Amino acid sequence: MGCRHLEEVYELFLLGALSEQGSLELREHLARGCPHCLARIREAVETVYLLSLFSKPARPNPRVKAELLRRLHKK
Amino acid sequence: MNEELSAKELLARVGRHDLAALSELYDRFAPRVFGLITYILAFRDEAEEIVQEVFLRLWRESKRLDQESSSVAAWLIVTSREAALERLRTQRSRKLRPDAPREGGAEEKWPDANPRSAKPLVAASLSSRAVSKPSDPRTRAGRPGPVGPAKAPATVRVPPAWLPRTGEIELIDERLGLLHKVIEQLSKSQRQGLELAVFGGLSEEGIAAELGEPLGKVRTGLRAAVAFVRHRRRAILGTWAADI
Repeated sequence: MGCRHLEEVYELFLLGALSEQGSLELREHLARGCPHCLARIREAVETVYLLSLFSKPARPNPRVKAELLRRLHKK
Repeated sequence: MNEELSAKELLARVGRHDLAALSELYDRFAPRVFGLITYILAFRDEAEEIVQEVFLRLWRESKRLDQESSSVAAWLIVTSREAALERLRTQRSRKLRPDAPREGGAEEKWPDANPRSAKPLVAASLSSRAVSKPSDPRTRAGRPGPVGPAKAPATVRVPPAWLPRTGEIELIDERLGLLHKVIEQLSKSQRQGLELAVFGGLSEEGIAAELGEPLGKVRTGLRAAVAFVRHRRRAILGTWAADI
């Protein structure tokens, strides 16, 4: 398949931690529609998801929701 | 009915511009979204602004997300992180301009408004408090020096096709506590590096500069850390496959 060397970098790519050159290579490869890498990138998104949830939940001020709904209601 | 399935139904309704459905999704996910954004950004009002932006985007993109059967929970978290880091990078680049206030002036705005110092959010889970405080990605943001725009690449936008399906995220949510214990098994330096990547939006080069460590060491450590998390996640979720 010629993309096994990318196996270790999907998560770092998604996190924006990969070097510019490494990101470019992965983007070009994904643009060619590699099914193996598409499956792995989905899996890597799951890892980014679980890492991001280390932050504890916090409740925004109720006016944020009120303002949001008001803005949407106008649309 | 489990939460994620009903979130899927709500997403379909939001796709038909059902305001009550969006309101329900907001109630369910806003605390997670806001918790993540306030961990990345120092100021609460900015975080609240981004929460609104994220849910406005959900309103616009819900139909497409529903058509792709993408997990709304995953979309919200990934999009919130992207949006908060974009704001953080804008702040960094603004402060790095020659006419911007230099270190002392710019830095003074951060510590008191820093939610970590006021109300620690991540605590010892991803990186120990004593370790993470001096290298807080936000308090370093205004400093001219190693962490500059060239070392902070643009955030990667995740298209719906890359998002996990509802069931996959549901499984992660069920076992989140166990999955987070995996991170605690990483070495201190690996956790630090990972935290700077996840919540600081720094590249490998930026992390090396931030930690004052050789790039090769940081690169190796980060790759080992994500490989460890990936392998343990597969084992915990039972998604290990022979070709992986």
